[in-house]
Amino acid sequence: MAENSENSGMSAPSAGAAPAGAAPASAAEVEAAREARRAAIMAERASRRAARAATETAPAGQGDAAIASNAADAPATAPAAVAAPTVAAGLQAPGIAAAPAPTAAPSLSELAMPKNFRIIGKSQPKVDGMPKINGTARFTDDMKLPRMLIGKTLRSPHAHARIVRIDTTRAEALPGVLCVITGKDIPTKYGIIPVAQDETALALDKVRYVGDPVACVAALDEETAYNALKLIQVEYEILPTVMTIEDALEGKVLIHEQNKTGNVLKNVQQSFGEVDALLADSEVVVEDDYYYEGNTHVPLETHSALASWDHEGRLELWSSTQVPHYLQRELAKVLGVPQSRVRVVKPHFGAGYGGKSEPFSLEFCAAFMARKTGRPVKITYTREEVFYAHRGRHPAKMWLKLGARKDGTLTALDFKCWLDGGGYASFGVVTTYYTGVFHSLPYNLPAFRWDTTRLYTNKPPCGPKRGHGAIQPRFAFEIALDQLAEKLGMDPAELRRKNFISPGHKTVNDFQVTSCGMKEAMEKVLVESQYFEKKGKLPRGKGIGVACSAYICGAGQPIYANDMPHSTVNVKLDRSGCATIFSGSADIGQGSNIMLAMIVAEILGIQVADCKVIEADTDLTPVDLGSYSSRVTFMVGNAARNAAEQLRIKLLQATADHLRVPVEEIEQVGQEMRYRKDPTRKIPFQRAIHEAEARFGGLIASGTYKPPRLSTRLGGRGAGPSPAYTFTAQVAEVSVDEETGLIEVERIWCAHDCGRALNPVVVEGQIEGSVYMGFGEAIFEAQRYYKNGLMTTPSILEYKLPTIHDTPEIKVFYIETLDPNGPFGAKEAGEGPQLPTAPVVANAVFDAIGVRFKSNPMTPDVVLKALEGRTTRKNMRMA
Amino acid sequence: MQKVLIPLEINGETVEVAVRPHQTLLDTLRDSLDLTGTKHGCDIGDCGTCTVQLDGIPTLSCLTLAMDVIGRQITTVEGVAQDGVPHALQVAFDQQGAAQCGYCTPGFIISGVALLKANPSPTLEEIQHALSGNLCRCTGYTKIIAAVQQASQMLQQAGTGAAAPSGASTGTPHAAAHPSTAQEV
Amino acid sequence: MLKLPEFQFHRPSTVEGVLELLTRHGSNARIVAGGTDLLPSMKQRLFTPDHLVSLRGIETLRQIEISPDGGLTLGATVTLRELTLHPEVQRLYPALASAAGQIATVIIQGMGTLGGNILLDTRCYYYNQGEFWREALGKCMKADGTICQVARNSPSCLAAFSADTVPALLVYGAVVRLVGPSGTRAVPLSELYQDDGMRWLKLLPGEILTEVILPPPPSGLEARYDKLRVRQSIDYPLVGVAIGLVRDQAGTVEQARVILNAVSSMPESVPQAALLLGQPLTDEGIEAVAQAAYTQVKPLTTHGVQPIYRKKMVKLTVRKALQGLMMKGMPGQAV
Repeated sequence: MAENSENSGMSAPSAGAAPAGAAPASAAEVEAAREARRAAIMAERASRRAARAATETAPAGQGDAAIASNAADAPATAPAAVAAPTVAAGLQAPGIAAAPAPTAAPSLSELAMPKNFRIIGKSQPKVDGMPKINGTARFTDDMKLPRMLIGKTLRSPHAHARIVRIDTTRAEALPGVLCVITGKDIPTKYGIIPVAQDETALALDKVRYVGDPVACVAALDEETAYNALKLIQVEYEILPTVMTIEDALEGKVLIHEQNKTGNVLKNVQQSFGEVDALLADSEVVVEDDYYYEGNTHVPLETHSALASWDHEGRLELWSSTQVPHYLQRELAKVLGVPQSRVRVVKPHFGAGYGGKSEPFSLEFCAAFMARKTGRPVKITYTREEVFYAHRGRHPAKMWLKLGARKDGTLTALDFKCWLDGGGYASFGVVTTYYTGVFHSLPYNLPAFRWDTTRLYTNKPPCGPKRGHGAIQPRFAFEIALDQLAEKLGMDPAELRRKNFISPGHKTVNDFQVTSCGMKEAMEKVLVESQYFEKKGKLPRGKGIGVACSAYICGAGQPIYANDMPHSTVNVKLDRSGCATIFSGSADIGQGSNIMLAMIVAEILGIQVADCKVIEADTDLTPVDLGSYSSRVTFMVGNAARNAAEQLRIKLLQATADHLRVPVEEIEQVGQEMRYRKDPTRKIPFQRAIHEAEARFGGLIASGTYKPPRLSTRLGGRGAGPSPAYTFTAQVAEVSVDEETGLIEVERIWCAHDCGRALNPVVVEGQIEGSVYMGFGEAIFEAQRYYKNGLMTTPSILEYKLPTIHDTPEIKVFYIETLDPNGPFGAKEAGEGPQLPTAPVVANAVFDAIGVRFKSNPMTPDVVLKALEGRTTRKNMRMA
Repeated sequence: MQKVLIPLEINGETVEVAVRPHQTLLDTLRDSLDLTGTKHGCDIGDCGTCTVQLDGIPTLSCLTLAMDVIGRQITTVEGVAQDGVPHALQVAFDQQGAAQCGYCTPGFIISGVALLKANPSPTLEEIQHALSGNLCRCTGYTKIIAAVQQASQMLQQAGTGAAAPSGASTGTPHAAAHPSTAQEV
Repeated sequence: MLKLPEFQFHRPSTVEGVLELLTRHGSNARIVAGGTDLLPSMKQRLFTPDHLVSLRGIETLRQIEISPDGGLTLGATVTLRELTLHPEVQRLYPALASAAGQIATVIIQGMGTLGGNILLDTRCYYYNQGEFWREALGKCMKADGTICQVARNSPSCLAAFSADTVPALLVYGAVVRLVGPSGTRAVPLSELYQDDGMRWLKLLPGEILTEVILPPPPSGLEARYDKLRVRQSIDYPLVGVAIGLVRDQAGTVEQARVILNAVSSMPESVPQAALLLGQPLTDEGIEAVAQAAYTQVKPLTTHGVQPIYRKKMVKLTVRKALQGLMMKGMPGQAV
């Protein structure tokens, strides 16, 4: 596959390159340099051979072979090749045509890859778990600096207004107030997507939603700052508002006057295959409208940022952000300082679910006011402010037409979508793509067309929430499949099974699927839930439903165009035997730190407890793009593996040289490195580290990951193509109280193809959390607004996130397909499992009460109303 | 308003702290005493992240005035471990992966420890009831319930057997949690 | 973090001390006990009193005592949690224990007090919000505004009464002891309220509630409190219904009370409960009372859920509660 060559973007590890480049000063160093050069040459040779072997023999993306290097000239008798067929073969996904294992030479991966996993695949407590449990973990708002000021934001009470005048003099005069700023102070526009930068830290001349930041105050304490806000006088010229998709399309009132396409942020249309002809020929067609309600993340930690400048004009900013790197870039631009002067650190992080994946007003304001006052400034949002900062799920109006043959084979889909995006762009361009491109998974769909319009409205901006952009169309599609099944007289599960794609599938829109456990996942939930035993046999008011989905493992492209790695991980192996892992990735509670420690420990032959993870600090850690789009395990994991392998090879090489035996014959048993054929020839593991350091210099390696070049035939390169896809099947069992309209979701079975479950307990937790969040969106949660643009429920009392009493029993199964390109075969688990949950509940509710919900949330009043309507409809149908 | 110096009994120690009359216990713990293990999530009593124990009873520190709890025994998450040994529930939370982002965790620990003290072998319903004032947004509560169940078992074993809860008695939780490590590579 | 507005704090150890402070500071002072209702509202700047007077220092208000007549006297600062767990409360007044256990969250039950629940501020979607929010919408008459956001033509405030213990207490014929500058009076709880969201309590200036007197329940009394809410924790009632029935040995209903919660600014009695009297419980009788309750209530948009839904749920909840009692069978067998 073409992807293989791209994987060489992972810097070919050259064991001796660094010392070889240095000027040797002593005999020992000369010797070391010579050794290193020899190793480098060997590595290159092996690399070429391995790559050749891979391209010739491996159809399913033997990414491991492609990054091979640094193998010795000796024939392939590496432990992995002998004992475990080969690492690569061990990573075969079920169903992929088994490739003959490359036997020509052991790759670096093969040499470094342990024969039996000590750590991978076994549940491990998080490296940063206990601090969160015993109260010692420091989150951003737990931090304090000497002379620190507290900032507070004045927000617009109007949904759409021109700022005529702001008078801050009275606020400035309040004792204890040190700084008051308005939009004019920080006028540079920013935005997470380079082509759609339409935000300023504080509104410049216009406000565009209730809650839009207008001014910011820094004071000695929070109460003074709060009181100062009341003294700021803002004169607004109130403008007519755009509160609906229809109003936005009409375009009488413009929210961003300079936007060339009116209130349309983005419209994308793509078409694949002969949609119209296939739909016309379809024996059964479903055509319907669907609506997915907006909702929001509600991380329990509210946004917080703490800024401090040093005497040389360097900014340090601690922030609860999922994207330290992007934040660093935007801060530098907006503050007018070089990026080299900006350090962003993400401390312990109280969750985001996508809600902290872009720069926010508070980060710029804290930084700006800290510079202006010469004192550290901290801003922490209140819970209410988080509801205004939002960036949650876009409300989506959808229409689709889906065709099938009489036997249930899907033919084509026509899909239209309008996204109610709020006052600013946020990730909206990406959201637009994500509503369209995933229709070709996980079912074989020979043709489809989609047309999505993302609109500006006078509401808090929508953005990425778990399952970004894919949740809404999946809701429509999975319900449409049930409607189709009903028309066909087929069981909904049968209809799905009939259309599943297989491993290695290439979609009509050019997505290359590698591993795929869709069928296995489906079988698992059907069996575990006893779906067929229950279907049609449950008592009145009880129902069972099914839904499936697919999701990405990171995007093929970074957010700003560049050819650099998406992820770099540096690993330093200390003489003490302790490895320090430096990664720019952000552990946002999903467990990326333990993932890093496990991968590195496994490969280096040390314990997780011997690994220290330094994460998300732009001064210390190499760039990673951030924790979004389910990219971290796949991309950062691969980079970490790559770095660890380089060091492991050095350990093996140094040991082999010391024992004067071939490197392939070194094995580690416990704390010893020894010659396989004569175990009396051995050195302690620690000695191997010292030998390696003596030979190669400091044991530091940098591993990188960059996705293979994925589909570029179409526009929107970054949205959709992914190095791997995950697959999820769910069954839900519900009972509906037909008198109150209350839906009780009793149980959800979820089987998720996560590749390899590196850390099962963490994978399970990600799946459970995803299902929980989808359940909340199905039954309870809605972010809605009054006509004047005010959010109706800006508190946890009124915004109904489920409590422990409301949450269903969640039965989790992971399907381990072992992706050929994932680290140890791993894929994502943090977002994909949410996709089927809302539709699976809707489908089960239909089974229970015969009412087809095509919108959410299914609150009791809505359900009751629909039940009353059902009686009428049924009577009509019978008449 | 002028500050008043008051004594508070926190985690078994008497501390003197200067508070202003309108300071909540949460403000006092976090801002005055640097006991930042107690978190704030909503500030108006809806989420449970700020839960501490007052005389053993889970209490929202965001809705409790510092000056109103003089003489009461206050336990924060920092005071749950004894002599550096984590409580069985903390060990279980770690092993079960019950803390994801960890922000709600101190509140759950406080509620869970109070439950286990009053009722060492709670049923599922009793666990759900005791934790129904604490919101978690990451876990779907599944692993949290599992952790309370595991801790209950650990405590019972400790009660019936000779030893303290496994892991809790033998040093760091990680020593107990990590599988044996001297395996072949 | 959301901070409280500034105030002076007082923690007297006697009721007299409280009265003295209230007399001295008048409307600039407020009583705080559990704090779970007052303090969120203060953080939202619904109130900014200069003085807060805590009742936590008064030991006598925290007691539950068995009265000479066999009833109970409950101190005002007995917590809701204590009510749910107290064996005598459970035995004599199970609907009260049950109602207390359905309030908010289990943590809030450990903080909130009986007196605080009885005097709970009326609630409304447009009122129980932060300062910014209320300013952005336009303030309502209950908090510094002039109009009612629920019904703009309404001359009075329509905020809803939502205290879950009160309907149960009413079923048990509770009397409250009020202590004020001009002395002590015992008032039937049913006479404490009026249907006005801003002045729902008929308390005299400077008066405080010190205890609740529950007469011994008449023999044959069965009572229950049912609460409908969106989430099974945290939430205030969409609808609450307390039922009290006294039946004789033959099953004939001798007394019947139906009290509705959260549908107007005071607990609302259903007079047509009298339809049940003089005969055993029948489906027809139950349906008639449920229908009467439905016809009687006019819930408004004081919640996020549509009023028509809540109106329907009044009927359903009344019916189900009565059916529940019918299913339990004869009083002799009932608990």
